Amino acid sequence: MIITLESCKGLSDNEIVAKSLENLDYFSCLYQRYEPELMRYIYRIATVDEEEAQDILQESFIKIWRNLNEFDTGMKLSSWLYRIVHNETISHIRKKKSYGKDNTRDVELYRNILADKLDSARESEEKLSDIPQILDQLPLKYKEILVLKFLELKSYEEISDILKIPEGTVAIRINRAKKHFREIFDKTYSQ
Amino acid sequence: MDNSTKLIDKIKEEQVKPIPRWRFTIKDALIWLIFIFCVLFGALAFSVILFAIQQVDFSLPGHLSHSWFELLLGLVPLFWIFSLIIFLILAIFSIKNSKRGYKFTSPALVGFAAALSILIGTLFFISGGAQWLENAFATKVNIYEGIEERKTQVWSMPEDGFLSGTIISVNDSTFELNDLKGKSWQVIYKGADIVPSVSIIDGEKIKLTGEMASENTFKADKIRPWGGFQRRYHGGRGNN
Repeated sequence: MIITLESCKGLSDNEIVAKSLENLDYFSCLYQRYEPELMRYIYRIATVDEEEAQDILQESFIKIWRNLNEFDTGMKLSSWLYRIVHNETISHIRKKKSYGKDNTRDVELYRNILADKLDSARESEEKLSDIPQILDQLPLKYKEILVLKFLELKSYEEISDILKIPEGTVAIRINRAKKHFREIFDKTYSQ
Repeated sequence: MDNSTKLIDKIKEEQVKPIPRWRFTIKDALIWLIFIFCVLFGALAFSVILFAIQQVDFSLPGHLSHSWFELLLGLVPLFWIFSLIIFLILAIFSIKNSKRGYKFTSPALVGFAAALSILIGTLFFISGGAQWLENAFATKVNIYEGIEERKTQVWSMPEDGFLSGTIISVNDSTFELNDLKGKSWQVIYKGADIVPSVSIIDGEKIKLTGEMASENTFKADKIRPWGGFQRRYHGGRGNN
């Protein structure tokens, strides 16, 4: 019997984990709860079609299920799920040797990083529509951190847990990634 | 069929079971055990290095062609320096692989592991354990060249101004000294800098710097007890 998201509504993530360990069917709640945002995250960092993304997510959730007892309740479940999905996606990317394309062109990310370079809302729309796929030109380590910070809106602590790096390193890497991003923007826009 | 149903069906079909919690607990415990083991062994290595440092008389080499750093390098067996480095690296590696190890930067981990090893090593050294450990190594491990052995070599170079041995007889301005190889020397000690912890009497084991005046005459410049900072230490090999 599959338990619907509706019936898990009042349960916290940790409660669902505990219930899943007693009854596998509760695990479907976890999947349903996080499927939309994790699918979106996969699309943002990898060039995959829907079927591939589904496969990555399924494989990730099988790993999550296998390692469910390892989950450290001291951290947010979402960070742990992101970490496993992230690793699975990166391993998929490495196998395919193709990084994600910023097909959706997340305007918010550009607006966040380039705020001081865009004078007005109207101008910003114009400029943003001209901006090439800057994210694609960044190394993966910069791309993933910008996606987590400005698109997934994760805190430094969450990013630290997802990427397994110290929070200080998160801050440094975000700054470097923004710098790279702006350099590419300047180079492109000044031409 | 929705995706969550597919997932649950797949898990059931492939009979995927969660890894039991005890396996993760054991893995974590092992990582910490390795960390503790490495820090302790690093501490032992550090304590022996401290013991070697103690054997260098820093007040002596000022006037000599050999700096105290050279003497220190001559005394500390590289084995202990390498051991300290290797155990520190292993300690850092193990803690980095612990559950929350990624939260710490590498410099923080190096500092933490080194500080722990230094603290425990110093306590072990103060308790006399370092000397005991070093002696145990020197007596039980054939290929290991102990600090006492190295010290004997360093202080048996009269041509370079280093001499050591036991006083046999004393006159007004000279005394007879049997060096560590058994050779007899006439030592002119008048005007030499002698620390209060040294008594120029028969049976006193000393080390001295100065100049070789002839084949069996040595003009002492500074005279110190054979032990390091202490007057003499007990229980070590070759210092009785």
